[in-house]
Amino acid sequence: MTLIVENISKSFGENLVFKDVSFKMDKGEIVCIKGKSGEGKTTLLRCLNNLEEIDSGKIIINNREISKVKDGKLEIGLVFQNYNLFPHMTVMDNIVLAPLYLKKSSEEDIYKRAAQLINDLGLKGKEDFYPYQLSGGQKQRVAIARACILNPSVLCFDEPTSALDRETIGQISKIIEDLANKGMAIIIVTHDNEFVDEIAHRVIEISEGSLYEE
Amino acid sequence: MKVLKMLIPLTIEGLKITLGVFILTLAVSLPLSILVALMRRSKNKFLSKFIGIYIYIMRGTPLLLQLMFIYFGYHYIPHIGYALGRYQAIFIAFILNYTAYFAEIFRGGIGSIDIGQYEASKVLGISRSYTFSKIILPQVIKNVLPSIGNEVITLVKDTSLVYILGVSDILKAARAASNTYSTFTPFVFIGFVYLIIIAILTKLLDKIELKFNYYR
Repeated sequence: MTLIVENISKSFGENLVFKDVSFKMDKGEIVCIKGKSGEGKTTLLRCLNNLEEIDSGKIIINNREISKVKDGKLEIGLVFQNYNLFPHMTVMDNIVLAPLYLKKSSEEDIYKRAAQLINDLGLKGKEDFYPYQLSGGQKQRVAIARACILNPSVLCFDEPTSALDRETIGQISKIIEDLANKGMAIIIVTHDNEFVDEIAHRVIEISEGSLYEE
Repeated sequence: MKVLKMLIPLTIEGLKITLGVFILTLAVSLPLSILVALMRRSKNKFLSKFIGIYIYIMRGTPLLLQLMFIYFGYHYIPHIGYALGRYQAIFIAFILNYTAYFAEIFRGGIGSIDIGQYEASKVLGISRSYTFSKIILPQVIKNVLPSIGNEVITLVKDTSLVYILGVSDILKAARAASNTYSTFTPFVFIGFVYLIIIAILTKLLDKIELKFNYYR
């Protein structure tokens, strides 16, 4: 199993978000997490990515519990709803920043891999553009490249379709499916049912603090 | 003519003081203020409070008083038993004062950066210090440049306060010439000297702002 979530609970003060939530994912799976606004979908993603601490339970990726993993060794990535690109860096610099910092491989290899991703994601020619010069869909693809260059086993998307038109959503579905075919486990938080029907292998619904598999 | 003959050499001497205080204060205060801003934002309550009090005192009292206190005030602090030289006193006062103002500007600037920038960086496995220097600070500098520019221009004019410790800057040069020849002209002349300095600085600041305009 690539990802095992075991009985995790999270609350903010008195406010319970979810309780004893568990699910498992295999590599290459695409799981969509649905739920109304405020049901804690995004909080769940944030917990998986160590942006929020869980109150109890375990999150295990590739046999390692993430709360015990040091920064920079997480095998999970996140594409934020608003992408959070670094506005003062070019597309290329946004993508290579982390691997260069983490010294994942030689500089030459990192730039080669970045060029490959830029090509695969249809961003060729945009290497030297700044985020403000890109469309929403292009920004999202930069965010995907930025996450993918670290080769995470699990990649999370927070509401990937919320700011895109139908045509762009089609392109992003294809990109996500390609990633899954290459073995990445994909978690998508969304309330876009049409998108879910199109892409999901499994659907999990979050409601009143619990998960229900459809 | 005689006035000018007296005024110009005095002005040149005074310029060394005016520009010296200006450049040294900036060179030390700007980097120091980033550190102070971070301490002000620190989760350590004691440190943050201590810096808060420092900033309160520096912004809450006139620079003129601070100059006097640092130069003459050693009597009030027992066991130091050491009087500062006037130049030391001037630099310490200016640096302490301007660091406080700059630090408040940087504090606001750091606070204005979207938390998503920190989170994106964290998710990518980048350390906090690297995130600050490579992702946060460059954006902060762009945002605070106009406010910093304002303070920089105020600093040029504040250098005239050094007269209180008997140091001769360009304004004092004008006063000397004016007293000797009973004429107001030297003050007009010095007014223009200030305007020229500010004009050059303004151009420079515009250039720096333009350099940061490569992104939005």
